[in-house]
Amino acid sequence: MEDLKHLVLLMVGILVAFTVVMTMVAYTVLAERRILGFIQGRLGPNRVGPGGFLQPIADLLKFIFKEDIVPDKSTRFIYFLAPTIVTTAALMSIIVYPFGPDVHLPFTLPLIGGNTIPLVIAKFDVGLLYVLGVTSVGVYGIALAGWSSNNKYSLMGGLRSSAQMISYELALGLGLIGVILQSGTLNLQSIVEQQSGHLGITGWNLIWVQPVGFIVYLIAAIAETNRVPFDLPEAETELVAGFHTEYSAMKFALFFLAEYVNMFTVSMLATTLFLGGWNGPFVHQVPWLGIFYFLGKVVFFLFFYIWLRGTLPRFRFDQLMSFGWKFLVPLAIINIVVTATVQWSGVFDWGAKFLKTSTGWGG
Amino acid sequence: MVPQLSWYLALSAVLFTTGVVGVMIKRNVISMFMCIELMLNAVNLTFVAFSSFFRDVTGQLFVFIVMTVAAAEAAVGLGIIISIFRNRESLDVDDASTLKL
Amino acid sequence: MLALLFILFAGMAVGCALSMVAQRNPLYSAISLIGVFISLACLYVTLAAPFIAAVQVIVYAGAIMVLVVFVIMLLNVEEEERQPVRLRTLVPIAVALAAVFFAETAFIIFFVQTSPATPTGSVSDVGLTSSIGTGLFTTYLLPFEITSILLLMAVVGAMTLARRGGLIGANVGVVPGYQSFAREVLDPMATTDLTQVEARTSREAEELLGVSDSPHGHDEG
Repeated sequence: MEDLKHLVLLMVGILVAFTVVMTMVAYTVLAERRILGFIQGRLGPNRVGPGGFLQPIADLLKFIFKEDIVPDKSTRFIYFLAPTIVTTAALMSIIVYPFGPDVHLPFTLPLIGGNTIPLVIAKFDVGLLYVLGVTSVGVYGIALAGWSSNNKYSLMGGLRSSAQMISYELALGLGLIGVILQSGTLNLQSIVEQQSGHLGITGWNLIWVQPVGFIVYLIAAIAETNRVPFDLPEAETELVAGFHTEYSAMKFALFFLAEYVNMFTVSMLATTLFLGGWNGPFVHQVPWLGIFYFLGKVVFFLFFYIWLRGTLPRFRFDQLMSFGWKFLVPLAIINIVVTATVQWSGVFDWGAKFLKTSTGWGG
Repeated sequence: MVPQLSWYLALSAVLFTTGVVGVMIKRNVISMFMCIELMLNAVNLTFVAFSSFFRDVTGQLFVFIVMTVAAAEAAVGLGIIISIFRNRESLDVDDASTLKL
Repeated sequence: MLALLFILFAGMAVGCALSMVAQRNPLYSAISLIGVFISLACLYVTLAAPFIAAVQVIVYAGAIMVLVVFVIMLLNVEEEERQPVRLRTLVPIAVALAAVFFAETAFIIFFVQTSPATPTGSVSDVGLTSSIGTGLFTTYLLPFEITSILLLMAVVGAMTLARRGGLIGANVGVVPGYQSFAREVLDPMATTDLTQVEARTSREAEELLGVSDSPHGHDEG
């Protein structure tokens, strides 16, 4: 019976999180088109509904009703499997992020009893490794999509994109090790709770703790999600359209969706690890504020992604690979060495103790 | 019913045997390589099962090292396979059974 | 509940393994093998080894199999053809031996007492990251360091194998003190140019023929 209650709680949590993520992703697409329009000196879509508010629904209807063209000589099974793998891998990682602290409801829940619900679906001890593992599996969808289209441009685009993703996955993982060294745990809830400093703002892992790690992670994350300036394999002017050339209608919509969900996932990870997750002013008195702080920080990252898309030119592929291997990975390794040395020698602890005894500030 | 240790060992034996059969049947050198990886994973499962049932962490450490060795073997092995393919234009092990090019 | 999960994941593992051996197309074999790795990772989670499960997905399913899939796609590996069945006379003997094997296994399963190893009922901290890290860096530090040297050797080996040129084919005429090289031996792309040149080493021959295998010489885009 206990198992059943647990299962029901998980299912409800997954449903709610899925709905929230999908809605936000749909409106991210609209926001991207409008913000890019403003950067480029034009308006974005603003006809459907007030200010273009119903545009995602129009897009969804268009994708559903479009004709589904399957290339004749493609391998059917892999052709249908590839968008499934990409979307599943993108969506699987939302279960470990803490959206907020434990919230208290004013009523008792009917099936489960008690009035506290945790705002995280699965509390893994190895949450961070789980996220890295799931992003690794997402590479297959792109490689298989490029292969199964029976089109040499798609194959080139798919292989280039997969090579880029596995190279920057390494830099991503190495950039996170600094945070793990400082927090001493792989559990995302503990990492967020350790970042509650004064007023919920000063404890963030960003400024004092891991500035270089944050920059390494951010650049690797932008490359991992195939966004500008690293989006050569799928840019509109290169290689026709890269690995998703031959996909139409709903399968293309799945690739499109998976890219934005990946962006969302990576922003959530950056928020959790570097920006303090759900921490913010007065979050312990009013736990519901935690969700707003978390989603606000994620929206900031999404805006940053869109801003970069409107501003930067893109890398050429060999520049991209040499940047990843020859600059980012050594920088991440140096960050690990410096972090471990500082942690071991206790220099910052000594500095904090000195500050506290001399001025009474900090702690 | 809780899974017993013997269940995990039986599963590992089945996977290992499947790997051995695959190595004997397959003619493509990449498929044979993949069957070898399957055998390594069957042994990994045995190690982790023993480590879990006897509460000893040594099994999991050994699995860690086996995975690292498998990764190194994959890198070098696939490099050799690509070199063989460049020279012979064929990935059939029956064609590569003599030392003559 | 745990037994149900075991049967589910074990069934998936065995099914994907059989599919891997039975498929003729190596790409489908690779995808089945990825299925085996992921179901094994789920089994490791039920065995209270979450770190090893995550590392299995990251290393095996996420890195090694990506490499294998890349190689299959780049070399454009074809399906194996069906082979004619050989040695038909041995099939009855194989069936008889398999029946003996099944009889032995059934006897062991039903009539022999299993060892009293306690299953993972209570919570153990063996599989946590901290215990693995402690073991790896204190008692088993030497294997850890040797493994890192092994990885370095693998990187150097892979890079050496990937370099073009420097290979001498079997159709080379050898004269004591001199060696004849055809251009196609040194540059596999030039299959029509069969000029021979006399040189003592392949390096000299490369210079005389104008074939260079240094990284900035091969500028093929």
